[in-house]
Amino acid sequence: MSDDKLLVVKDLTTTFATAGGDLTAVANVSFDLERNETLGIVGESGSGKTVLSRTIMGLQPRLNTTVTGSSIIDGFEVVGASEDEKRTIWGTEVAMVFQDPMTSLNPVMRIGKQIDEALRVRLGMNRKDAKARAIELLELVGIPSPVERYNTYPGQLSGGMRQRVVIAIALACSPKLLMADEPTTGLDVTIQAQILNLLDELKERLKMSVILVTHDLGVVATRTSRIVVMYAGRIVETGTTRDVFYHHRMPYTRALLESSPKVSNKSHTRLVTIPGRPPNLLNLSDGCSFAPRCKFATDQCHLVRPELQPSIEPGHSFACWNPLPINSEAVLP
Amino acid sequence: MSNFSSLEEAAVLVEKPEKSEPLGLFFWICVGWVGLNVFGAIFANVLPLQSPLTESFNAINAGPSLHHLLGTDDLGRDIFSRVVYGSRVSITVGIGAILIGYGIGAPLGMLAAYRRGRFDAILTAVMYLLLAFPAIIATIAVLSFWTPRSLLKIIIVIGIASIPLVYRVIRTATLNVATKDYVVAAKVQGATDRRILMKELLPNIFPIALSFFLIGVATIIVLEGALAFLGLSVNPPTPSWGNMINEARTVLSQNIWLALFPSLALCLFLIGLNFIGDRIRAHFDVTEVKL
Repeated sequence: MSDDKLLVVKDLTTTFATAGGDLTAVANVSFDLERNETLGIVGESGSGKTVLSRTIMGLQPRLNTTVTGSSIIDGFEVVGASEDEKRTIWGTEVAMVFQDPMTSLNPVMRIGKQIDEALRVRLGMNRKDAKARAIELLELVGIPSPVERYNTYPGQLSGGMRQRVVIAIALACSPKLLMADEPTTGLDVTIQAQILNLLDELKERLKMSVILVTHDLGVVATRTSRIVVMYAGRIVETGTTRDVFYHHRMPYTRALLESSPKVSNKSHTRLVTIPGRPPNLLNLSDGCSFAPRCKFATDQCHLVRPELQPSIEPGHSFACWNPLPINSEAVLP
Repeated sequence: MSNFSSLEEAAVLVEKPEKSEPLGLFFWICVGWVGLNVFGAIFANVLPLQSPLTESFNAINAGPSLHHLLGTDDLGRDIFSRVVYGSRVSITVGIGAILIGYGIGAPLGMLAAYRRGRFDAILTAVMYLLLAFPAIIATIAVLSFWTPRSLLKIIIVIGIASIPLVYRVIRTATLNVATKDYVVAAKVQGATDRRILMKELLPNIFPIALSFFLIGVATIIVLEGALAFLGLSVNPPTPSWGNMINEARTVLSQNIWLALFPSLALCLFLIGLNFIGDRIRAHFDVTEVKL
């Protein structure tokens, strides 16, 4: 049945050779993605979510990087493919929306031209058709008066507008998978919701799948069908969005949820934080990476790393020796 | 489709284009001056100038006069004419040599910064090794033995000496751009390396390249002047700013003009070039803040 899935990631591991030794940024990650599904990848800074999203599409740095395992996008094995081979799926099968719209547009090229490029080079459109299509795309992502905007430079647009342009560029060759790496982190809060709604809307209209990488649980709560929670380069819990929010078993997931501000809290309530800091990926212990910060940790946690094990709900699994009880009280942001 | 309640509301979000730093009047004065020099160098033999080689024993070491605007030298040759003709050598060497430097150094620098890896490591090590060796000593050594000296040989030697300098500047500028998200964005849209180099990297390093080009010309003119002063540039009687200053050295007590005017010409030309280069860099400086 795996032919049906748009993306199958299996045992994906990314290792960087650094001066301090080998650094495993992503370790044995496996998951898959249906067509027209939105998946959230959640984790704090340095949990490997960005490296994971880039490795999935084969965009890891060329130098000192080893990737093992497999990442199959619509039947195309990305791991081990040459740049030339990957170029055939970049843009048409998988595209990317970047975190910071300030740096993801070429400052010296008119935005219309930046959309045109892909259309002309990849789809072989002529100048006139490409321009018409580019204007169509600008309209699709909700840019007012797209005909005039076609000729503006990125510096003349606001952050939200620029992120819309970035999305338009990503959509140019109608990719089946859109990778959105913290697409709203660089934006004002008021614009964030607009961009997320836009992504949602486009996903439905264009029948594509979206991977939403974020550290913000609020972002993924209503927009994803499934969530992958990452810690220190590994998946620590995965399941449907509902299961992860209401039936999570991994203390880290609970800690993440608890550290989101809640409307129901009285004002001036101190925000709950996770004590300690993310582990140094250069010298990880053999045990659970979260153990040093976990209030439920036992000796076993420090010595042996727990593997992902299924919970009672289908598709819900977690990696923990001392999981939270099945019907533990839900904490919601 | 749009999430805005009205177009007016959306239009507010479109900021006015940021004003870049104005170039200023002095910039245009410098452009005019440098342009005038280049014009003089190109059209020296068409312009109504006296011959730079005609000796006149009636006016030796004469001061400025109507007949000889800047006076004459110790052989009675017109200094004004010699300064104009002298600019030919200086400017030709300056532009010719930097073109060689850019022709080889710039593509290598861009490639190295974009590809990284072993290619970059080895090339950069070699270039830094060359940089560590003083260019002036190298050029003096080569030009002393590579005789007879001609303009072309001087251009080639200085040009080769400038390659590591150009390489370093272009590589650094490219490194800065190559890590930007829009380069990655172009890549995941399926752009080829060639396309990324030409369309994403080149336009973004162009202001720095242009600015360093002008400053490079200035630096090389000084180097040529130094070589000419040592008698290692074009052979007399062909004038160049450097060898005129050298000739003036022996008659400094009788004729201050012979030393003054070529030095002044050299100095003003260099100030002009440097200022233009600097203003261009500042004008096109696309900083994050402005974005």
